[in-house]
Amino acid sequence: MSGLMSSPILWLTATLIVFEGADRLSRRSGRHPLCHPVLLATPVLIGVLLLTRTPYSTYYSATQMLVFLLGPAVVGLAVPIWAQRAVIRRLAVPIGLALAAGAVTAVVSAVGILALFGAPREILASIAPRATTTPVAMEMAQQLGGVPALAAVIVLFAGVFGAMVATPLLNALKIDDFRARGFATGVSAHGIGAARAFQVDATAGAFASLGMALNAVATATLLSVLALLI
Amino acid sequence: MIGAIALLLVCQLAGEAIHRLTGLPLPGAVIGMVLLVGWLALVRKERPTLEAVTGWLTAHLSIMFVPAAVGLIDEGAALSRYGVGIVVATVISVLLTLSVTALVFRWAVRRFGPDEQEQA
Repeated sequence: MSGLMSSPILWLTATLIVFEGADRLSRRSGRHPLCHPVLLATPVLIGVLLLTRTPYSTYYSATQMLVFLLGPAVVGLAVPIWAQRAVIRRLAVPIGLALAAGAVTAVVSAVGILALFGAPREILASIAPRATTTPVAMEMAQQLGGVPALAAVIVLFAGVFGAMVATPLLNALKIDDFRARGFATGVSAHGIGAARAFQVDATAGAFASLGMALNAVATATLLSVLALLI
Repeated sequence: MIGAIALLLVCQLAGEAIHRLTGLPLPGAVIGMVLLVGWLALVRKERPTLEAVTGWLTAHLSIMFVPAAVGLIDEGAALSRYGVGIVVATVISVLLTLSVTALVFRWAVRRFGPDEQEQA
Protein backbone atom coordinates (compact mmCIF):
# COMPACT_ATOMS: atom_id res chain seq x y z
CA MET A 1 0.00 0.00 0.00
CA SER A 2 2.81 2.41 0.81
CA GLY A 3 4.16 1.89 -2.71
CA LEU A 4 0.82 2.84 -4.17
CA MET A 5 0.72 6.07 -2.12
CA SER A 6 3.72 7.36 -4.06
CA SER A 7 2.92 5.85 -7.47
CA PRO A 8 2.21 7.87 -10.62
CA ILE A 9 -1.01 5.90 -11.21
CA LEU A 10 -2.55 7.14 -7.95
CA TRP A 11 -1.58 10.80 -8.26
CA LEU A 12 -2.11 11.09 -12.01
CA THR A 13 -5.59 9.62 -11.53
CA ALA A 14 -6.33 11.99 -8.65
CA THR A 15 -5.06 15.00 -10.64
CA LEU A 16 -7.07 14.09 -13.74
CA ILE A 17 -10.29 13.49 -11.82
CA VAL A 18 -10.01 16.70 -9.78
CA PHE A 19 -9.07 18.69 -12.88
CA GLU A 20 -11.95 17.25 -14.91
CA GLY A 21 -14.38 18.24 -12.16
CA ALA A 22 -12.87 21.74 -12.05
CA ASP A 23 -13.06 21.98 -15.83
CA ARG A 24 -16.76 21.08 -15.80
CA LEU A 25 -17.46 23.81 -13.24
CA SER A 26 -15.46 26.23 -15.35
CA ARG A 27 -17.47 25.33 -18.45
CA ARG A 28 -20.72 25.73 -16.51
CA SER A 29 -19.60 29.23 -15.48
CA GLY A 30 -19.20 30.15 -19.15
CA ARG A 31 -15.39 30.07 -18.68
CA HIS A 32 -15.38 32.92 -16.21
CA PRO A 33 -11.72 33.79 -15.46
CA LEU A 34 -12.29 33.38 -11.71
CA CYS A 35 -13.43 29.80 -12.36
CA HIS A 36 -10.20 28.88 -14.12
CA PRO A 37 -9.82 25.11 -13.64
CA VAL A 38 -6.29 25.43 -12.18
CA LEU A 39 -7.56 27.90 -9.56
CA LEU A 40 -10.30 25.43 -8.59
CA ALA A 41 -8.24 22.22 -8.78
CA THR A 42 -5.11 23.39 -6.93
CA PRO A 43 -6.65 23.98 -3.47
CA VAL A 44 -8.54 20.67 -3.69
CA LEU A 45 -5.35 18.74 -4.46
CA ILE A 46 -3.47 20.59 -1.71
CA GLY A 47 -6.26 19.50 0.65
CA VAL A 48 -5.91 15.89 -0.49
CA LEU A 49 -2.14 15.97 0.08
CA LEU A 50 -2.60 17.46 3.55
CA LEU A 51 -5.29 14.91 4.51
CA THR A 52 -3.22 11.96 3.31
CA ARG A 53 0.01 13.48 4.72
CA THR A 54 1.68 13.09 1.37
CA PRO A 55 4.85 15.19 1.00
CA TYR A 56 4.79 17.54 -1.99
CA SER A 57 8.00 15.97 -3.36
CA THR A 58 6.18 12.62 -3.62
CA TYR A 59 3.26 14.17 -5.48
CA TYR A 60 5.56 16.15 -7.78
CA SER A 61 7.64 13.16 -8.84
CA ALA A 62 4.49 11.08 -9.34
CA THR A 63 3.04 13.70 -11.74
CA GLN A 64 6.24 14.29 -13.76
CA MET A 65 4.50 12.97 -16.86
CA LEU A 66 2.23 16.04 -16.95
CA VAL A 67 5.13 18.41 -16.26
CA PHE A 68 7.13 16.86 -19.08
CA LEU A 69 4.47 17.81 -21.64
CA LEU A 70 5.09 21.52 -20.96
CA GLY A 71 8.33 21.45 -22.98
CA PRO A 72 6.84 20.22 -26.27
CA ALA A 73 3.84 22.54 -25.68
CA VAL A 74 6.15 25.57 -25.53
CA VAL A 75 8.02 24.43 -28.65
CA GLY A 76 4.62 24.12 -30.34
CA LEU A 77 3.96 27.87 -29.91
CA ALA A 78 6.09 28.13 -33.06
CA VAL A 79 3.06 26.99 -35.06
CA PRO A 80 0.79 30.00 -34.34
CA ILE A 81 3.76 32.36 -34.79
CA TRP A 82 4.51 30.82 -38.19
CA ALA A 83 0.82 30.86 -39.19
CA GLN A 84 0.71 34.63 -38.53
CA ARG A 85 3.91 35.42 -40.45
CA ALA A 86 2.15 37.60 -43.04
CA VAL A 87 0.61 39.75 -40.29
CA ILE A 88 3.92 39.93 -38.42
CA ARG A 89 5.70 41.12 -41.56
CA ARG A 90 3.03 43.71 -42.40
CA LEU A 91 2.79 45.10 -38.87
CA ALA A 92 6.41 44.45 -37.88
CA VAL A 93 7.02 47.92 -36.42
CA PRO A 94 3.88 48.23 -34.25
CA ILE A 95 4.22 44.60 -33.09
CA GLY A 96 7.93 44.98 -32.30
CA LEU A 97 7.57 48.30 -30.46
CA ALA A 98 4.47 47.28 -28.51
CA LEU A 99 6.08 43.96 -27.58
CA ALA A 100 9.28 45.60 -26.33
CA ALA A 101 7.35 48.26 -24.40
CA GLY A 102 4.99 45.68 -22.89
CA ALA A 103 7.70 43.21 -21.89
CA VAL A 104 9.82 45.89 -20.19
CA THR A 105 6.78 47.44 -18.44
CA ALA A 106 5.63 44.08 -17.10
CA VAL A 107 9.02 43.12 -15.63
CA VAL A 108 10.04 46.54 -14.29
CA SER A 109 6.68 47.39 -12.71
CA ALA A 110 6.15 43.99 -11.08
CA VAL A 111 9.68 43.67 -9.69
CA GLY A 112 9.92 47.36 -8.76
CA ILE A 113 6.67 47.44 -6.79
CA LEU A 114 7.32 44.15 -5.02
CA ALA A 115 10.82 45.36 -4.09
CA LEU A 116 9.15 48.28 -2.27
CA PHE A 117 7.57 45.65 0.00
CA GLY A 118 11.05 44.44 0.92
CA ALA A 119 10.73 41.06 -0.83
CA PRO A 120 13.96 39.05 -1.12
CA ARG A 121 15.54 37.97 -4.38
CA GLU A 122 13.81 34.58 -4.63
CA ILE A 123 10.38 36.23 -4.45
CA LEU A 124 11.36 38.96 -6.94
CA ALA A 125 12.68 36.28 -9.32
CA SER A 126 9.32 34.52 -9.06
CA ILE A 127 7.31 37.59 -10.13
CA ALA A 128 9.73 38.82 -12.83
CA PRO A 129 8.39 36.50 -15.58
CA ARG A 130 4.75 37.16 -14.61
CA ALA A 131 3.64 38.14 -18.13
CA THR A 132 4.90 35.01 -19.88
CA THR A 133 2.98 31.80 -20.37
CA THR A 134 3.20 29.58 -17.26
CA PRO A 135 5.76 26.97 -18.42
CA VAL A 136 8.22 29.67 -19.51
CA ALA A 137 7.62 31.59 -16.26
CA MET A 138 8.35 28.50 -14.17
CA GLU A 139 11.52 27.78 -16.10
CA MET A 140 12.71 31.41 -15.91
CA ALA A 141 11.92 31.65 -12.18
CA GLN A 142 13.96 28.49 -11.59
CA GLN A 143 16.88 29.89 -13.58
CA LEU A 144 16.83 33.21 -11.74
CA GLY A 145 16.77 31.52 -8.33
CA GLY A 146 13.03 31.92 -7.73
CA VAL A 147 10.25 29.49 -6.78
CA PRO A 148 8.51 27.83 -9.77
CA ALA A 149 5.30 27.16 -7.80
CA LEU A 150 5.05 30.81 -6.80
CA ALA A 151 5.74 31.89 -10.38
CA ALA A 152 3.00 29.57 -11.65
CA VAL A 153 0.43 30.99 -9.25
CA ILE A 154 1.43 34.63 -9.86
CA VAL A 155 1.18 34.09 -13.62
CA LEU A 156 -2.21 32.49 -13.15
CA PHE A 157 -3.46 35.38 -11.03
CA ALA A 158 -2.07 37.91 -13.55
CA GLY A 159 -3.90 36.07 -16.34
CA VAL A 160 -7.20 35.93 -14.46
CA PHE A 161 -7.03 39.59 -13.42
CA GLY A 162 -5.90 40.69 -16.89
CA ALA A 163 -8.73 38.79 -18.56
CA MET A 164 -11.24 40.50 -16.26
CA VAL A 165 -9.98 44.09 -16.58
CA ALA A 166 -8.88 44.15 -20.24
CA THR A 167 -12.26 45.11 -21.72
CA PRO A 168 -13.18 47.92 -19.27
CA LEU A 169 -9.62 49.30 -19.17
CA LEU A 170 -9.14 49.36 -22.94
CA ASN A 171 -12.60 50.92 -23.35
CA ALA A 172 -11.63 53.64 -20.88
CA LEU A 173 -8.45 54.29 -22.87
CA LYS A 174 -10.60 54.48 -26.04
CA ILE A 175 -8.55 51.83 -27.86
CA ASP A 176 -10.96 50.65 -30.55
CA ASP A 177 -8.49 48.76 -32.77
CA PHE A 178 -9.06 45.07 -32.03
CA ARG A 179 -5.49 44.28 -33.09
CA ALA A 180 -4.09 46.60 -30.39
CA ARG A 181 -6.61 45.35 -27.82
CA GLY A 182 -5.88 41.69 -28.48
CA PHE A 183 -2.12 42.09 -28.67
CA ALA A 184 -2.01 43.98 -25.36
CA THR A 185 -4.16 41.33 -23.68
CA GLY A 186 -1.88 38.51 -24.87
CA VAL A 187 1.32 40.33 -23.88
CA SER A 188 -0.01 41.18 -20.42
CA ALA A 189 -2.23 38.21 -19.59
CA HIS A 190 -0.84 35.35 -21.76
CA GLY A 191 -3.09 32.33 -22.46
CA ILE A 192 -5.91 33.23 -20.08
CA GLY A 193 -6.07 36.70 -21.63
CA ALA A 194 -6.01 35.16 -25.11
CA ALA A 195 -8.90 32.85 -24.24
CA ARG A 196 -10.90 35.88 -23.09
CA ALA A 197 -9.93 37.87 -26.21
CA PHE A 198 -11.27 35.04 -28.42
CA GLN A 199 -14.64 35.36 -26.65
CA VAL A 200 -14.76 39.06 -27.55
CA ASP A 201 -13.53 39.06 -31.15
CA ALA A 202 -11.70 36.65 -33.51
CA THR A 203 -9.12 39.26 -34.61
CA ALA A 204 -8.46 40.20 -30.99
CA GLY A 205 -8.03 36.51 -30.17
CA ALA A 206 -5.52 35.91 -32.97
CA PHE A 207 -3.47 38.96 -31.94
CA ALA A 208 -3.64 37.89 -28.29
CA SER A 209 -2.20 34.44 -29.15
CA LEU A 210 0.53 36.15 -31.12
CA GLY A 211 1.26 38.51 -28.23
CA MET A 212 1.47 35.59 -25.81
CA ALA A 213 3.82 33.54 -28.02
CA LEU A 214 6.09 36.49 -28.86
CA ASN A 215 6.22 37.68 -25.26
CA ALA A 216 7.40 34.25 -24.11
CA VAL A 217 10.53 34.83 -26.22
CA ALA A 218 10.81 38.57 -25.50
CA THR A 219 10.53 38.32 -21.69
CA ALA A 220 12.79 35.26 -21.51
CA THR A 221 15.42 37.15 -23.52
CA LEU A 222 15.01 40.32 -21.46
CA LEU A 223 15.34 38.42 -18.15
CA SER A 224 18.32 36.45 -19.43
CA VAL A 225 20.12 39.67 -20.32
CA LEU A 226 19.18 41.28 -16.97
CA ALA A 227 20.38 38.18 -15.11
CA LEU A 228 23.76 38.44 -16.80
CA LEU A 229 24.05 42.13 -15.88
CA ILE A 230 22.95 41.88 -12.24
CA MET B 1 1.45 11.71 -35.68
CA ILE B 2 4.68 10.19 -34.38
CA GLY B 3 6.59 12.30 -36.90
CA ALA B 4 5.04 15.51 -35.55
CA ILE B 5 5.77 14.55 -31.94
CA ALA B 6 9.32 13.61 -32.89
CA LEU B 7 9.79 17.00 -34.58
CA LEU B 8 8.72 18.79 -31.37
CA LEU B 9 11.04 16.63 -29.27
CA VAL B 10 13.98 17.07 -31.67
CA CYS B 11 13.56 20.86 -31.49
CA GLN B 12 13.36 20.79 -27.71
CA LEU B 13 16.34 18.43 -27.45
CA ALA B 14 18.40 20.67 -29.72
CA GLY B 15 17.25 23.67 -27.65
CA GLU B 16 18.29 21.98 -24.40
CA ALA B 17 21.66 21.01 -25.93
CA ILE B 18 22.29 24.59 -27.10
CA HIS B 19 21.21 25.88 -23.67
CA ARG B 20 23.71 23.61 -21.89
CA LEU B 21 26.59 23.74 -24.35
CA THR B 22 26.65 27.46 -25.10
CA GLY B 23 25.37 28.75 -21.77
CA LEU B 24 22.67 30.70 -23.65
CA PRO B 25 20.38 31.58 -20.74
CA LEU B 26 17.07 31.14 -22.63
CA PRO B 27 15.17 28.00 -21.53
CA GLY B 28 15.76 25.02 -23.85
CA ALA B 29 12.08 24.87 -24.84
CA VAL B 30 12.07 28.54 -25.87
CA ILE B 31 15.20 27.98 -28.01
CA GLY B 32 13.38 24.93 -29.39
CA MET B 33 10.42 27.15 -30.33
CA VAL B 34 12.71 29.47 -32.27
CA LEU B 35 14.35 26.47 -33.96
CA LEU B 36 10.93 25.12 -34.97
CA VAL B 37 9.97 28.48 -36.54
CA GLY B 38 13.24 28.22 -38.49
CA TRP B 39 12.45 24.66 -39.54
CA LEU B 40 8.94 25.62 -40.72
CA ALA B 41 10.47 28.45 -42.77
CA LEU B 42 13.09 26.12 -44.24
CA VAL B 43 10.89 23.14 -45.14
CA ARG B 44 7.66 24.58 -46.48
CA LYS B 45 4.69 22.26 -46.68
CA GLU B 46 1.25 21.75 -45.23
CA ARG B 47 1.50 20.27 -41.73
CA PRO B 48 -1.99 19.27 -40.57
CA THR B 49 -0.67 16.66 -38.09
CA LEU B 50 1.77 19.06 -36.46
CA GLU B 51 -1.04 21.60 -36.14
CA ALA B 52 -3.29 18.96 -34.58
CA VAL B 53 -0.62 17.89 -32.07
CA THR B 54 0.38 21.42 -31.02
CA GLY B 55 -3.28 22.46 -30.93
CA TRP B 56 -4.02 19.57 -28.58
CA LEU B 57 -1.05 20.44 -26.36
CA THR B 58 -2.02 24.13 -26.20
CA ALA B 59 -5.64 23.27 -25.45
CA HIS B 60 -4.55 21.15 -22.48
CA LEU B 61 -1.78 23.39 -21.18
CA SER B 62 -3.69 24.14 -17.97
CA ILE B 63 -3.50 20.67 -16.44
CA MET B 64 0.24 20.52 -17.09
CA PHE B 65 0.97 23.24 -14.55
CA VAL B 66 -1.24 21.84 -11.81
CA PRO B 67 1.68 19.84 -10.30
CA ALA B 68 3.71 23.06 -10.02
CA ALA B 69 0.82 25.10 -8.63
CA VAL B 70 0.25 22.48 -5.92
CA GLY B 71 3.80 23.37 -4.80
CA LEU B 72 2.22 26.36 -3.05
CA ILE B 73 1.64 23.87 -0.23
CA ASP B 74 5.25 24.52 0.82
CA GLU B 75 5.12 28.31 0.32
CA GLY B 76 2.84 29.28 3.20
CA ALA B 77 5.54 31.39 4.91
CA ALA B 78 6.41 33.37 1.77
CA LEU B 79 2.72 33.91 0.98
CA SER B 80 1.73 35.14 4.43
CA ARG B 81 4.72 37.50 4.47
CA TYR B 82 4.66 38.85 0.91
CA GLY B 83 1.17 37.89 -0.30
CA VAL B 84 -0.15 41.47 -0.16
CA GLY B 85 2.92 42.81 -1.98
CA ILE B 86 2.59 40.12 -4.65
CA VAL B 87 -1.09 40.94 -5.24
CA VAL B 88 -0.50 44.72 -5.35
CA ALA B 89 2.53 44.39 -7.66
CA THR B 90 0.72 42.00 -10.00
CA VAL B 91 -2.45 44.12 -10.21
CA ILE B 92 -0.57 47.35 -10.99
CA SER B 93 1.79 45.57 -13.38
CA VAL B 94 -1.12 44.06 -15.34
CA LEU B 95 -2.92 47.43 -15.63
CA LEU B 96 0.28 49.23 -16.73
CA THR B 97 1.32 46.54 -19.20
CA LEU B 98 -2.12 46.39 -20.84
CA SER B 99 -2.23 50.18 -21.20
CA VAL B 100 1.35 50.68 -22.41
CA THR B 101 1.19 47.82 -24.94
CA ALA B 102 -2.13 48.94 -26.43
CA LEU B 103 -1.17 52.63 -26.55
CA VAL B 104 2.23 51.95 -28.15
CA PHE B 105 0.62 49.59 -30.69
CA ARG B 106 -1.99 52.20 -31.67
CA TRP B 107 0.58 55.00 -31.83
CA ALA B 108 2.95 52.89 -33.98
CA VAL B 109 0.18 51.85 -36.38
CA ARG B 110 -0.76 55.52 -36.90
CA ARG B 111 2.87 56.60 -37.20
CA PHE B 112 4.31 53.72 -39.28
CA GLY B 113 1.33 51.53 -40.16
CA PRO B 114 0.80 50.68 -43.83
CA ASP B 115 -2.93 50.08 -43.57
CA GLU B 116 -4.91 52.95 -42.09
CA GLN B 117 -8.05 51.67 -43.78
CA GLU B 118 -8.09 48.61 -41.54
CA GLN B 119 -8.41 50.69 -38.42
CA ALA B 120 -11.76 50.38 -36.81
